[in-house]
Formats: sequence, structure tokens, C-alpha cells
Amino acid sequence: MIGVIARQQLLSLRRQQTFLAFLAVFLLMTALTGVIGWSSHRTIVQVYAAAVTVLAADGQPAPPDPFTSVPALSLLSNMTIYIPLIGALLALVLGHLAVADEQSTGIGRLVFSRPLSRTSYILGKLLGVGLALGAVMAAATIASLAALVVANGRVPSVPDVGRLVLFSVLSLGYLLLFALVGMLTTLLSRRRSVGLLAGVSVWLVVTFVLPQFTSGLRPTASLNPISDPVSSSLAFFQITARARPLSVSEIYKDVSAQILALGPGRPASTTLAAVVPVVAIVLALAALVAAAAHRHDYSRAGAA
Amino acid sequence: MTGAAIEMREVGHRYATDPVLIDISLSIEPGEVFGFLGHNGAGKTTAISILTTLIKPTSGVARVCGFDVVTQRRDVTRRIGYLPADVRLYDHLTAAENLEFFARLSGVDTPRHAVAETLEYLDCTELSGLRLGTFSTGMRQRIGIAQAILHRPEVLFLDEPTSGLDPAGVRQLRETVLQLNRELGMTIFMNTHLLSEVARVCSTIGVLNHGRLIYKDTIAATTSRFPDEASLEDIYTLVASES
Repeated sequence: MIGVIARQQLLSLRRQQTFLAFLAVFLLMTALTGVIGWSSHRTIVQVYAAAVTVLAADGQPAPPDPFTSVPALSLLSNMTIYIPLIGALLALVLGHLAVADEQSTGIGRLVFSRPLSRTSYILGKLLGVGLALGAVMAAATIASLAALVVANGRVPSVPDVGRLVLFSVLSLGYLLLFALVGMLTTLLSRRRSVGLLAGVSVWLVVTFVLPQFTSGLRPTASLNPISDPVSSSLAFFQITARARPLSVSEIYKDVSAQILALGPGRPASTTLAAVVPVVAIVLALAALVAAAAHRHDYSRAGAA
Repeated sequence: MTGAAIEMREVGHRYATDPVLIDISLSIEPGEVFGFLGHNGAGKTTAISILTTLIKPTSGVARVCGFDVVTQRRDVTRRIGYLPADVRLYDHLTAAENLEFFARLSGVDTPRHAVAETLEYLDCTELSGLRLGTFSTGMRQRIGIAQAILHRPEVLFLDEPTSGLDPAGVRQLRETVLQLNRELGMTIFMNTHLLSEVARVCSTIGVLNHGRLIYKDTIAATTSRFPDEASLEDIYTLVASES
């Protein structure tokens, strides 16, 4: 039965224009990451070549090529911005769509008059959502690899591919968190639209409000994949900084930067420890979604 | 099937503190077409929700095909079909895709074959490849019935099946119900307001008034018991006013 629900979920998503529109924007932005990286790369190389020519004419030695000291994956640094912004919203909508029909249109009455348990239903939905997000991240990873090949003019090394795959797995977990938020807010709301709006509110808080709160002295913290230095002598900001382990968006960007080798290196154990609270939040959300599905009265149709 | 197709013993249900069903006891034999009558809010849909295992009764025992709706839910749901009022399916999927999904959920071994066979049985094969979002109420109702009988249930629950249908649709539904009962031997439990349809389709009726079952008998016995009343509507009004 879990497979039947997951299969139906994937078929439905393929036909839902809202999901397809978000998917198109996300993949477009992923491809754009490559274009932006390639454009920056080309500009820097041109400036470097011109500088070398000028310096050579003056008889001075040329400085080292800037790209030799920059990690190859730095070209994809914008991915750590697009995933929390567009990818998370896509996942939220996906989670909402996954349970909204059964919850609000009355299809749940038909579904649960069959020999289907609530546990199988929710596991099937989670499997369907997980597979859909997995496919999205696989497509994004392939697009990123293609972008690297175009930008660098060579095939990425095996360690770089490994880092990219690890980054995709981390991103999949991050997206799953928002899909669970979308499912939970929809299951807890009587009106479908309220469920979606509540989910979007959570996304806004996690993506923009919480990073500002926990890294208040660095207003660009919500965008830059750079960990915030312990920064202020003000007691208020020292307190807010302590809440940082719960700011999943910042943790995601920080760990992503580590995986993609964008920032100063840290021991792997420190990076892993940073992920633990996020994993705990995902598991707690999954348990809440399961509980909400068990408690929901599917004999009554909700409202739009 | 041995014994009653549907049996309710002192079944009660309440939402918060409001009683919706009060000590309902009734028995419906296999092969009967049972019409459950009652005003809006009488508790008809709640009764169907209990019998289809969607909600649990707060008191009493309900059995379908001999299985308890609470403790043997899986056995019950394998044997029933359900068409809710204002049937909704997945609008972005085609009729065939919707039906295939419900066939798989019902544990049908060959879903595609069952879908094709059922659509042919209901004479609506032409709807197979069309998306539900484009359907009229009548077309939805046809597909709704198809999803309810895909797995050839022993008992079919219909909740206000004629609501929103035009006269031609009502007639078509009536013929379908009779056909399912006659040819496939299904026991049919039908909630309805349309007393004229009850008189034409049902073999037994029950009247629910403010959560209590105030009357139950066969159509034949009912009309002979109230010889002075011109129609079932008059009988219903009389029974409801006497309770």
C-alpha cells in the first residue's frame, strides 16, 4: 500500500501545474548558477590576462592565476542561496500538495474507506515526496556538474564530484524539512489556503527572521554562506548568537560552505555536530506529521 | 455471506458533547436495498461514516458482513464500496488513472482490467482518458460509482447519491443501483432525501429523526401499514411528526 500511495503521489505531482512551475524556476536558477559562475570566471580570466600583458610590458612578474587558489566548486556558491530560497519554497508547496487533496476535498473519505492504514498512507506520502525531491536534487546536481564542466572547461575531479553529491544529500534533507512543514501545516488547518500560508510563514521565519535574530550584526547573514564570527560585545547579540544552533537555514549554509570547501576548513566532527539539531528537527517533524494524519477526521471535507 | 450484511446494536456517536446518533439498532439482510431517510443533520452521514470505518462509534457495536467496524476494520473495508455525497476525486488525473489508484488501494489483482471492465459495465468507457477536472456532476457521479464497485464489494454505501443530478442523471443512477443489486447481488445502503426514488429503488426503509431510528420496515409493509397515505412523503411526514 505504501508503494501505491507513493506512485499516485508522483503521478499527481507530474500533473500539478503549481509544482511544475516552481520546479521550472528552481532548475532555471540552478542552471543560472552555472551561467553566473561561468560569467564571473570569464571576466576574471580576461582581467587577469590583460593585467599579465600590462605587467609583462613593464617587465614585472605576473601574479598567480586567481583561479588556481579558488576551489573549483566555488562557482556553485549561489546554490547555497537558491536552495533555501526557491528550493525550500518548492518543497513546501510539494508537501502541501501531497496531503491537501485528501485533507480538503473529501478524497480522504474515499481513500480511508479502503483497507489502508493511516501509517501506510503517511509513509507512502513521505516516500513519494522524498522520491520527488530526490529527482529534483538529482536534476540540480547534474545541471551543476554540467555548469562546472562548461565553466572550468574540464571534468571535475572525483573528490569534487563527491563533495557535490554530499552537498546534494544535505540539500535533500533540508528540502525534506520544508516538505514536512508543508504537510504538517496543511494537516493542522481546516482551510487549504490557511495551511499553505502557515507553511510559507514558517519558511519566512526560518529563512529570513531567524538568521537575522541569531546573527543580527551581520544583516547579510541570510544570504552569505560564511559563518558568523563571534561578533559583538553587546549582551543582546551574545544571547541571540546562542540560539544559532536552531537556525537551520544558517546551519545549512554553514555546512554547505564546509562541504563545498568555500570557507575556512573545520574538523569534520564539528560540521557533523552542527547537523545533529537539524536531523532532530526533521525527525520530530516527521513524527508530528504522522500524529496529525492519525488524528485527522477524514470523514469531513475541509475547505479551500 | 451468512447473517446480516449490516448490523448496528445500540450505536451512538457524539461530536464533543453533542449526540449525533443515539442507540441505533438495525439489521439489514444480504441483498436488500435499504433507504435511510431523515432530515438534514439527522445523523445519516455519521451512520455511514461509522459503517465505512471512517469514524468510530462512541458507544455500541456495528458490524458489516459480520466484521466489527472498529476491531476488524481491514476485513470490513475489503468488502465495502462507498460513494460519498458530492464525490471528489483527483481532478488533474484521468478517470482511468483515478480508478486504477482506487483499484490498487482495494487490493484488486489486475487493476487495469478491473477499470476497463467496470467502465464498460457502467457504459462510460468514453470517459476513461479524460481528466476529472473537466467533468460535469453527472459524469463525476458515474466515475464515483465506478470507484465504489471496482472490487465488486458485498455492501455498497451511497450517501445522497442523487444530489446535484438532473432528472436524467437521477434516472440513470436509479437504474444502476437496481442493476448492481440484481446482477451483482450487492447489498445497498442508501442515504437520501429523494423519497420518490426510495419508493422505486429500496426494499426496506429506515427513518432517522434527531439521531434516533424511529422507524424501520419493508416498503411493502410500510405502504400496507399506512393505507390512507398517498405517498411515501406523506408516510415520512406522519412518522416524523409522531416521534
